[in-house]
Amino acid sequence: MNGPRRGNIHSVESLAALDGKGIRYEVFFMGCPFRCAYCHNPDTWEGEGTLHPTADELAAKIARYKPYFGKEGGVTLSGGEVLTQSEFACELTDRLHERGIDVALDTCGGVPLTDSVRRALASADMVILDLKFHDEEGYRRYCRGDFRAVMNTLDFLEERGACVWLRTVVVPGINDSEEEIEKYAAIVKRYKCVRRWQLLAFHTMGFSKYERMGIDNPLKDTPALSKDRLAQLQEFADKCIGEL
Amino acid sequence: MREEWQGFREGKWCDSIDVRDFIVSNYTPYDGDAAFLKGATERTKKISAKLNALLVEEAKKGVLDVDTENVSSILTYAPGYVDKDLDIIVGLQTDAPLKRAVNPFAGIRMCEKACDAYGYKMSDKVRTEFKYRTTHNDGVFRVYTEEMRAARHVGVITGLPDAYARGRIIGDYRRIALYGMDYLIECKKRDKREYGMKDMSEENIRQLEELSKQLDFMEQLKTMAAQYGCDISRPARNAKEAVQWLYFGYLGAVKEQNGAANSIGRITTFLDIYFERDIKAGLLDESAAQEIIDDLVVKLRLVRHLRTPEYNDLFAGDPTWVTTSEGGVCEDGRSMVTKTSFRILQTLYNLGSSAEPNITILWAQSLPQGFKDFCAKVSIDTDSIQYENDDVMRPIYGDDYAIACCVSAMRVGKQMQFFGARCNLAKVLLMALNGGKDEIYGIQVAPEGPVFDEGVLDYHKVLEAYKQYMSWMAKLYVNTLNVIHYMHDKYAYERLMMSLHDTDVDRLMAFGICGLSVLADSLSAIKYAKVTAIKDERGLITDFKTEGDFPKYGNDDDRVDSIAKWIVESFFEELKKTPTYRHAKHTLSILTITSNVVYGKKTGSTPDGRKRGEPFAPGANPMHGRDCEGALASLNSVAKLPYSCCRDGISNTFSITPDTLGENEDDRVSKLTAMLDGYFIQDAHHLNVNVLNRQKLIDAMNDPTLYPNLTIRVSGYAVNFNKLNKNQQQEVINRTFHEKF
Repeated sequence: MNGPRRGNIHSVESLAALDGKGIRYEVFFMGCPFRCAYCHNPDTWEGEGTLHPTADELAAKIARYKPYFGKEGGVTLSGGEVLTQSEFACELTDRLHERGIDVALDTCGGVPLTDSVRRALASADMVILDLKFHDEEGYRRYCRGDFRAVMNTLDFLEERGACVWLRTVVVPGINDSEEEIEKYAAIVKRYKCVRRWQLLAFHTMGFSKYERMGIDNPLKDTPALSKDRLAQLQEFADKCIGEL
Repeated sequence: MREEWQGFREGKWCDSIDVRDFIVSNYTPYDGDAAFLKGATERTKKISAKLNALLVEEAKKGVLDVDTENVSSILTYAPGYVDKDLDIIVGLQTDAPLKRAVNPFAGIRMCEKACDAYGYKMSDKVRTEFKYRTTHNDGVFRVYTEEMRAARHVGVITGLPDAYARGRIIGDYRRIALYGMDYLIECKKRDKREYGMKDMSEENIRQLEELSKQLDFMEQLKTMAAQYGCDISRPARNAKEAVQWLYFGYLGAVKEQNGAANSIGRITTFLDIYFERDIKAGLLDESAAQEIIDDLVVKLRLVRHLRTPEYNDLFAGDPTWVTTSEGGVCEDGRSMVTKTSFRILQTLYNLGSSAEPNITILWAQSLPQGFKDFCAKVSIDTDSIQYENDDVMRPIYGDDYAIACCVSAMRVGKQMQFFGARCNLAKVLLMALNGGKDEIYGIQVAPEGPVFDEGVLDYHKVLEAYKQYMSWMAKLYVNTLNVIHYMHDKYAYERLMMSLHDTDVDRLMAFGICGLSVLADSLSAIKYAKVTAIKDERGLITDFKTEGDFPKYGNDDDRVDSIAKWIVESFFEELKKTPTYRHAKHTLSILTITSNVVYGKKTGSTPDGRKRGEPFAPGANPMHGRDCEGALASLNSVAKLPYSCCRDGISNTFSITPDTLGENEDDRVSKLTAMLDGYFIQDAHHLNVNVLNRQKLIDAMNDPTLYPNLTIRVSGYAVNFNKLNKNQQQEVINRTFHEKF
């Protein structure tokens, strides 16, 4: 390939206030090794995105939003799975850091730890990692993914002393019980690098995409998790892990 | 020093009218948070219940009542009360709350139509009185040229104040509280004597006649206050009197004038000086102070004018733009936020959310965090307030300016504005393609030029033609406004409001643009995609085939944002080439109120893909659905429009769902303040903020009883959502809501 490396970007969102601290500019990378049953962005799984910028171009575009970031905000690299393009993610992170912009990396943790994946994880200012299930069975069944790979990523982050937020989507009928939450908590407690563990409610809002794309949706009949139940479980989860 | 001024720090303000000097010498900045505020007292709750019952009744009937027998003026009506025993601040426009007055000075036909629309009949008495009287509207139409009439007819300029009062003038009502009417009258008499020494040129004769009209109404205002048992010939002695005196001035103004926007000015920092003095002296506690402000706001919420249904299409929701201006920074660097700035925001909790008064925050980067956070909280909870950038306005207007209407800054008591509605620059593009003919009516409006051929449009040729028609439009627009304001001064002069200005007042003539995003995207489509013009059976270009993608305004993309910038800069340059009436300074706004719907109705299909009749985006907003990189990209595009050539304001309305903004209230507050800081540090001018879910609006449209007080920001003002018509409601629902799944 000639010329500088280019990213394969599904889309960008200039105001993402939920994925990280402060106001975030979010970059959605194309490509994902997982096929989670409740994914609300199946259009990021594979193929070509709408943008193919160099790291420098994208960093320059993002720098226009620095006025909004204040002390806490910055960029969140997400997807799809950002680490499927780990070389580009590294370059982009470097270019952003040169401009004084904070970088959070939002990953499923399921990508094997190659050199560039390690570099990308290590250079992020914060990592948001999805702890989707607490065992191999869950990952295999609902994500077609590898639990061990996720644990390896978490081990690596622990070793590096990274700042990590964990997130778990709670799906009715699958993991919405106190017993399930306790099993997750057993893992969460083992990692000092985890600063926050956030439960997210399963919702059905991205589901029209499945129909549009003609993909079978195994959870199409599953109801959304109520706000109240989520709050209950979050409280329970917080109690299980104590002060982080 | 006068005894009413005991406890104030002396200064220049003691020797001549100088409210700014009084404020700067005496105010107490407040850097804390909202914890000191008090809720509604039992009295306020009773009045609030009464007010809400009246509003419900009014909503059922359209208008609650109309006095068709008398012509509105300062002394027309006997004193009126919401509740004579409970009112703290007294005075109503007519003798009963929400009873509307007939005010035909700007145009009698509009007034008759408005009476008819609500099942009333203007009395023969009023009709006879005006039979021998020239209204502003009569005067304008005596002079209007055929070209002006045609431009108005096809709607390339619309909303002109030629059949109703112009408004947008802010009397310095604070002067009454600080100095009392007698001193103000004495100063005006001195000015009149001085003008009498000059040569009797046309200008000076007019000035002398105006001064005489001012003096007449100043005396009348004293009489009106006396009918309510108050002696405003002397200065106010305490906070309650200061609020009352100031309100009497405003009340007199809205009895005399029914201008679209009658704003009250920058009053809270001034009033706070009186509150501080009384609280220190132990005359008031916080609850009593809040109660006075609550009652003032009750009165401001009752201001009404009699309007026609057509008027409501342009300015929807029965707005009066009792705009207040809060915060900002003093030229000496201190924040001008006081406890009373908080108190007026607190009324949105004590009395419930409301569109009026139109509370405007003069945002500056250096404002105290406690105030920024409280403003953000109020936005999130009520969707009732707007933000304007003090850091860009202060260098131009100083630290004692206020906002009139939506976004128009002016120095209080020193500057006035000739309001100019707006012209439709998207429609001018279609005229340029059609050799000056209107694409809907098919008539020749602008000078005849070559009609473009069918086929692919060439950007440079289109741009050259556009420049010529833009230049024609600018000249016609200035001249039309000159006629309007000459006649308004002659037949509907604002006697009371102008008496509360310096005699040698600085004048601004405020032009406006609508259709900015449609025009920018259309030019971008012609430049970057392939646009084929299609003619109809009349030989006029009325449709377009647009192939390929093109950069769209609202995505922080310089390729098209620079076109938007070029449009406003070049139109402003063109406007300045034609001199204005009374040497007014040309200013320009990008603001549509809710007329973006009407303008869209009157405009054929455009090259950006918008079809004939479809609404424009409001103000300087990107077209809904075309901003695809999210909220901040949209803000960044708007922030590029230069305030230097849009000194009458650049309006941007922004809606976001609560869940997109943050996880919980604290998080939302901190993110909203960060967003406002980030937007305004780029020299952006204005932002309306709505934090709500689209579904809530849809539910309210289907069943208005669900959310009777649902307030939303639509343009430079807020409306009760239920007062919009279905088209307007639908347009608001269709607007971009920044949300995340």
